[in-house]
Amino acid sequence: MLYNQNDLKILKDEIEFVDTAVIPFASSDMTVHAPLNSSNIEMLHLVSIQLEKQFKGRLLITPMMTTVDENISVLASYVKQLRTYGFKNIVVLTHLKAEIDDAHRIKLNEIPLENMSNEMKIEMINDEVKTVMKSVISIWNK
Amino acid sequence: MSQKVTRRQFLNYSLMGVGSFMVAGMVLPMGRFAVDPLFQSDAEGSMIQTSISADDITEEPTQVDFSFIQQDGWYESEVTDFAWVYRDGDEIIALSPVCKHLGCTVSWATDDANPERFYCPCHNGLYEKNGNNVPGTPPTGPLDQYEVGVSDGYLTIGQIFPNELV
Repeated sequence: MLYNQNDLKILKDEIEFVDTAVIPFASSDMTVHAPLNSSNIEMLHLVSIQLEKQFKGRLLITPMMTTVDENISVLASYVKQLRTYGFKNIVVLTHLKAEIDDAHRIKLNEIPLENMSNEMKIEMINDEVKTVMKSVISIWNK
Repeated sequence: MSQKVTRRQFLNYSLMGVGSFMVAGMVLPMGRFAVDPLFQSDAEGSMIQTSISADDITEEPTQVDFSFIQQDGWYESEVTDFAWVYRDGDEIIALSPVCKHLGCTVSWATDDANPERFYCPCHNGLYEKNGNNVPGTPPTGPLDQYEVGVSDGYLTIGQIFPNELV
């Protein structure tokens, strides 16, 4: 499910089936790391779209959340809100190190996408998606 | 003796002439629109070519990718989808991998307990090989089917439609 009107309507009725929220979380610092951040954000987008396709009926992919200076207070209150809404599992999909209470963190690899041919890019992303899928399944099986 | 055209006759003729042009101007386009469906070429152009040779398709469902251009408002993008394709006698069957429960992607024989069924990892939905949903699992209907064809020996995939095998 995505964060749009249609899916949210379904979500309201099917919250027992859609029990997992995924928050793509990235840094948008305008420092020397900006190019790296932008590449991470692009990758996060691609991975979450693929992930949504595979597990549409059990995941809500929230809009991407960005932060500066590794401040995670907004993320923490978002996690709290999602928990109150009824999500059993909350997953933060990120390249950052930040640990969040009450949520699983799946850390992505940093891949320099801009230097790759399109085919290679797709392959790398697909591999990453597979790893993330396995982590999500292992969270479900807990 | 030359035949004289009276004023009355002349007016009659010219009125009829102009009138018939006007009627034709209305009726002809309407007629053309009415029979237009007959001139429509079949939706053959919408069949999407895949890179799988029709001879390579076995009785074991395999994943066949196909891409098409999708228009989302202003934005045009190339989308890759796939179907589960297998051979049933002389027929080729292509099933949509989208679970009828909440839209996850189902896969063939990934659940060890059900090696001959489609399995949905989200809520343990199961489907028989022909797409029929297994009672007692969450899905409420059978998997959709794709139109299939063969062009130059290669498999083509067309429109999606409700399962007709069940």
